[in-house]
Order: sequence, then C-alpha cells, then structure tokens
Amino acid sequence: MLKIIIPTIMLMPLTWLSKKNMIWINTTTYSLLISLISLSLLNQPSNNSLNFSLMFFSDPLSAPLLVLTTWLLPLMLMASQHHLSKEPLIRKKLYITMLTMLQTFLIMTFTATELISFYILFEATLVPTLIIITRWGNQTERLNAGLYFLFYTLMGSLPLLVALISIQNLTGSLNFLLIQYWNQALPDSWSNIFLWLACMMAFMVKMPLYGLHLWLPKAHVEAPIAGSMVLAAILLKLGGYGMLRITTMLNPQTSFMAYPFLMLSLWGMIMTSSICLRQTDLKSLIAYSSVSHMALVIVAVLIQTPWSYMGATALMIAHGLTSSMLFCLANSNYERTHSRTMILARGLQTLLPLMAAWWLLASLTNLALPPSINLIGELFVVMSSFSWSNITIILMGANITITALYSLYMLITTQRGKYTHHINSIKPSFTRENALMALHMTPLLLLSLNPKIILGFTYC
Amino acid sequence: MNPLIFTTILMTVLLGTMIVMMSSHWLMIWIGFEMNLLAIIPILMKKYNPRTMEASTKYFLTQATASMLLMMAIIINLMHSGQWTITKVFNPTASIIMTSALAMKLGLTPFHFWVPEVTQGISLTSGLILLTWQKLAPMSILYQISPSINLNILLTMAVLSILVGGWGGLNQTQLRKIMAYSSIAHMGWMTAVLVYSPTLTMLNMLIYIMMTLTMFMLFIQSSSTTTLSLSHTWNKTPLTTTLILITLLSMGGLPPLSGFMPKWMIIQELTKNSSIILPTLMAIMALLNLYFYMRLTYSTSLTMFPSTNNMKMKWQFETKQITLLPPLIVMSSLLLPLTPMLSILD
Repeated sequence: MLKIIIPTIMLMPLTWLSKKNMIWINTTTYSLLISLISLSLLNQPSNNSLNFSLMFFSDPLSAPLLVLTTWLLPLMLMASQHHLSKEPLIRKKLYITMLTMLQTFLIMTFTATELISFYILFEATLVPTLIIITRWGNQTERLNAGLYFLFYTLMGSLPLLVALISIQNLTGSLNFLLIQYWNQALPDSWSNIFLWLACMMAFMVKMPLYGLHLWLPKAHVEAPIAGSMVLAAILLKLGGYGMLRITTMLNPQTSFMAYPFLMLSLWGMIMTSSICLRQTDLKSLIAYSSVSHMALVIVAVLIQTPWSYMGATALMIAHGLTSSMLFCLANSNYERTHSRTMILARGLQTLLPLMAAWWLLASLTNLALPPSINLIGELFVVMSSFSWSNITIILMGANITITALYSLYMLITTQRGKYTHHINSIKPSFTRENALMALHMTPLLLLSLNPKIILGFTYC
Repeated sequence: MNPLIFTTILMTVLLGTMIVMMSSHWLMIWIGFEMNLLAIIPILMKKYNPRTMEASTKYFLTQATASMLLMMAIIINLMHSGQWTITKVFNPTASIIMTSALAMKLGLTPFHFWVPEVTQGISLTSGLILLTWQKLAPMSILYQISPSINLNILLTMAVLSILVGGWGGLNQTQLRKIMAYSSIAHMGWMTAVLVYSPTLTMLNMLIYIMMTLTMFMLFIQSSSTTTLSLSHTWNKTPLTTTLILITLLSMGGLPPLSGFMPKWMIIQELTKNSSIILPTLMAIMALLNLYFYMRLTYSTSLTMFPSTNNMKMKWQFETKQITLLPPLIVMSSLLLPLTPMLSILD
C-alpha cells in the first residue's frame, strides 16, 4: 500500500517545486500514474482480504473505492484548471496541496486495518475539505456551509470515538482482520442500544441520512468544482464504507435498531427526489439527487443481505462516477455564464453538441438506465428490499420514476429548446472538458461489461 | 523597566514555581506560591495604566485567597496526620479545601471569573506568562495529591469548566479573552482525568502549553489584540495566516493535528474506567470551543477580510523576530504520530 501512499504524499513536493507552466501537467500525469498502480488491487483472487501489512489491507469492498479515489484526483485537477487560472501561483499550489492531502487521507482511510486509525483519518479528511470549501468557494454562503459541514460531521463522529474505544475495551482489539473472527452477538441492553447508535450516527450524518442532510446541499453548492467532485464521489462513500464495516460487529441489534433509519431513508429518498423537481439551482439539484441515491445505499446496508451489500457497493461506485460527472457538466455551464440557475443557460445542444452528448449520457446513467452499473446497483437494492418487505416496492418504484423525471427535466431544460439570446457568445467546449467527461464516462461504461469487480465481498 | 530589575523579578517568578514543584514540605510550597504571586505582580503591571492596575489587583486578591485556603488545608492536614510531608491528604475536609484552593489558582469553574478579566487587562507577553507558566505550580500540587482528591468535586468542576470555557468564549472578539476562555476549558480537560491517570494530565498540560505559546507568539508578532486587527495579517504576512489556521485547528482538537492527542487519550482513559457519558459530553462541549476558533480562522485565514488599500504598505519599524516560533508550530501541529512516546512522561 505504500506504493500508492508514498507517491501521493510526494505529489506535494512535486507541486511546490514545479515551474509555473508545468504544475498542472506534472500533477495530472503523476496522479494518473498512481491510479494505474491502484488498478492492480482489483484483482482479488478470493474473498479473503489482501493484507499488505499490519496497518493496511485491501478487500473486495475497499479496492473499488480506492481505485475510484485515485482515479478522481487527476480528474479534479483537470476540472480546476480554468477557475484557478487567474490566481497567483502560490494559491494554485496551495489548492493542489489541499487536494493531495485530502487524497492521501482518503487512501489511508479506505485501507486502514485498525478502526481507530480509520476514525482519525476519517476526521482528518474534514480539514482539507473545509479549507477548500471556505477558501475557494465563490459566494458568501460558503462560510455557513463550511460550519454546517464541519459541525454536523463532528457531532456525529465524537460519540463514534467513544464507542470504538469501549468496543476495544470489551473485545481487546479493534483490528478489523481479527474482529471478523472474534465476532460475538451483542447482548440486548440499553447501553448496547446507545453503542449501536453511537457507532452508526457518524456514518448516517456522512451519507447523509434524510433528517441530517442539511449540510449537503450547502456544502456541495458552495464548494468549487474539485470540492464538489470529491464530496459527492468519495466523502459520501466514506459513510457507506464505514457502515458496511461496522455493521459486522453490531449484530443482532441491527435487526430492530435499523427500523427508524430505514423509514427515514425510504421516505427521504422520495422527498429529496421530489425536491429535485422544483430546484432552480443546477448544483443544488445534483446535490439533492446525491442524497436520494445515498438513501438507497443506507436502505441496502441496513437490510444486511448478500444481494443488498452487492447493490450498495455497486451503487456507491456508480453514483460516485455519475455524480462527479454531473458536477463537472454543471461547472462547465457555470464557468461560461457565472450563474447556477438552470433556465439561464438553455438550449445548449444547438451551441455545444458534443457536450450535449455527455449531458445525455450522464443523465441516462443518473436515472439508472440498463445496462449501466447504476442499474445493477439499484436493481439489487430494490430486489433485496422487496424480499425484506413487499410494500417497499411501491416506494422504490416511485423513487425510480421521480429520479427519471428530474434527470430528464435537468437534461431537457439545459439542452433542448431554443437557446437564450445571451448565451450565443459563450466559448466552445475545451478539449480538456471533453477529456474530463470521457474519463468519467469510460470507466462507467466499461464496468457494465464486468460488474463483478465492484460487487463487493458478498459476490459468490 | 530596568533590565536588571526585570531579570531579578522574572527569576523570582521562576524560582517560586520551582520551589513549589520541588519541595516536600507543605510550608515551603506555600512560600513558593507566595513568592510567585508577589513577583508576578510587577510583571503584570509592565505598563502603568488603570486597566493593568485593576487586573493585577484582581489577580492578587484571588490568588492570595487561594493561598490562604491552601494554608488552612495544610494546617488541617497537619492536625490529622501530624507531619508536613507531601503525600496524599489525610482528611477529606482538607482535601476538599485544598482542591478548591488549587482550582482557584488554576481558574476552574466556579472560580473562573478572574481569568478573562485579568488576561484582558494585561499585555500580550504578560498574558502569555499568566496562562502558561502560572498553571504549572498548582497542577504539580494536584498531581501529587491526586490519590486523595474527592472525585465528585473534581469532575463537577472539570465538566463545568469545559462548559463555561466553551460558552463564555462564544461572544468574544478580544483575543486575550478568547485565550482565557480556552485556558479555562483546557484546564477542565486536564483535571477531569487527574484521578484516573495523572500522566495524561501532564501530557495535556505539555501540549496545551505548546499550543498556547504558539498562539500568543503569533499574536505578538502581528501585534494584534482584537479579531479585527488579526484579520489584517493577510496584508502584512500572509504566511502567518496559514500558521494561525493550523494552530487554531490544533487547539480545537481536530485530527490529524497534535491537539487531538490529549483529547483522544483522555477519552480513552475515561472510557476504560467505564465512564462513557462523561467523555462523550466533554467531547461534544469541546465543539463549542471549536466554533469560536473557526470564527477566528474565518476572519483571518480563510477569507480576505476587507481592508483599505494602504494596509499593504504598512511601515514596520522593527520586524519582530521570534526564533522559537517555527519549532513550536511544528510541535503543536505534527506531534500526533508520536503518541506512543507517551510512556516517557511516566
């Protein structure tokens, strides 16, 4: 694992020592090379985890997330080039350093063995993200957004620290590799109920669960493009990954403790999808759609069946790529019109037809069109929740319909129809932007040919 | 002040604390405290104006009362044990009185009222000495009598201090008052774990002193005592803003900075001793502290605060060179991976 971590850390001296016209080239190239190294981890011969050392391991669940993380860094760097072009050199280097630091912490989080180390790195990812949102965001609301982001996450995760330490007291070790063999059923008592709540709330806030999602639209909308990309694609998945790891220790309480959260998620996914139909702000629409997709993941993780775990993992990877791509597309609009209002930039298909193709593909994957991996994820979740309780099919069906509605609404508003008279002087699409969209779309389409690598550890 | 006199007085302060920390006779400890108190009054009053006079008077009155209470506890201890050596305190009444006296010296709730007012009235350097060096002596006595302290009283004072330190700092814009409330909260954390593991108290004290030293030196370098003047540092030395950001986040206890280490260790020790609600409550109340540190970072480092055009060309008549600053900053932010070295404090 050091073969990925040390090069990522060394990206920081690379940015500070590069010449002015080489910083973007250097960092993008080397981060692409690092992502190539991480691809070798996808070769998981058996369901046993690959142990690299006492501290790092890789498992069919964490390997796809790791590859997604390393794949996303060059994409973030490519997306940030335009809005940073007018800034002084030192600030560009600071921005890239923040992104690299975040990347290092994320890689270490996804491969951590010891749960307290996972916790420390999970919290550590907050600091660079906060700095990126508050320092480089564009509107005054970014200050509020940073505070909401930081405090919601910290309020949820401080009880997690206490819970992890008390679990370490009870079982003697928090090394994940050992715990899977030492697992005993958690006896039923009030204090164990609080233990369950303390363990799960941190990840529920991060996912986010419907009642605790207030930080997400603020943070996503106010963040610059790289911040939005990393937030939507990876940081939300940290919550899902944590939940998938920690539920192994929390049986059998999950069977009855999960009910309130299942209700909130099932209702919340419909609510947030419906709100998307009434949004005027493009980034806000994509942010609420993230909440809706993640609610599906929460339902899947809490049901705890093999198929639902497969669906959750696939949905996380698929949503990561799709959501990040949608944010890049929204950013390409924002860079031209400096406004996030959807109706201000209509009818773009006439002016930028290639970008319209990317918009079409992104919207189609967002609404889970077959045979994309989005569909595989959603289908597995719908099927397993149907087997858990037949009535959920109504809610799931309604959600799929509304998701299709708002994805197509977004597509039609921005691409079709007559263009507005003030946008016929926008710049044509840059090759960089087309490359960015292609790099998002290609893994998404290729994975539909071999989805078993992203189906997680319950694939048999 | 005449440099010779100033050196003598400073040495007396140091000597007073040293006597407290190294004596084995209760009377010598009291003498050390008094020496410390009397010598620090001129240092607090380096500038002669009514504000410093008021601050010094308040400090003198509270500390003298505390010393008298300490003396009373010593005498009761003498009555019940018949000897003057410092071991644990032999009588519960004496223990309670001594704990209250030391809490008054440290600035724990409910004896915290003097800390913001005294810190605000004196200069930045004197405030630095007040909030770091002066805490060493009472803390060393608490460390030595820790087996016999009444747990209920100490924990109540600790939790209330964290609460007051968090809430009280929320409405402040004066930097010295912010540091005072932060000191109250940190003292609360330190005393909470005193009965369970005094080593962690020492660790927390060490890291707290490093972070407070760093913060004060950064303030001294930009000669700023209010949030507004601190927010102009991006005009003068932009690098200082990054350092202020890192140190403030470390004080707030965010991983992966070293300010997280004492909080983590204290939570671990408390949880191992089967008190679960207490560390959760303490950790959540520390978030109040984090809020006003964040507000400070927002105005200083994360936004370019509005300023007039000519602030960039401010004449600096002397550039203050603080040589201790870089190593302090490194230590107050990057020490977390060295947590296993805790064993050297035993």
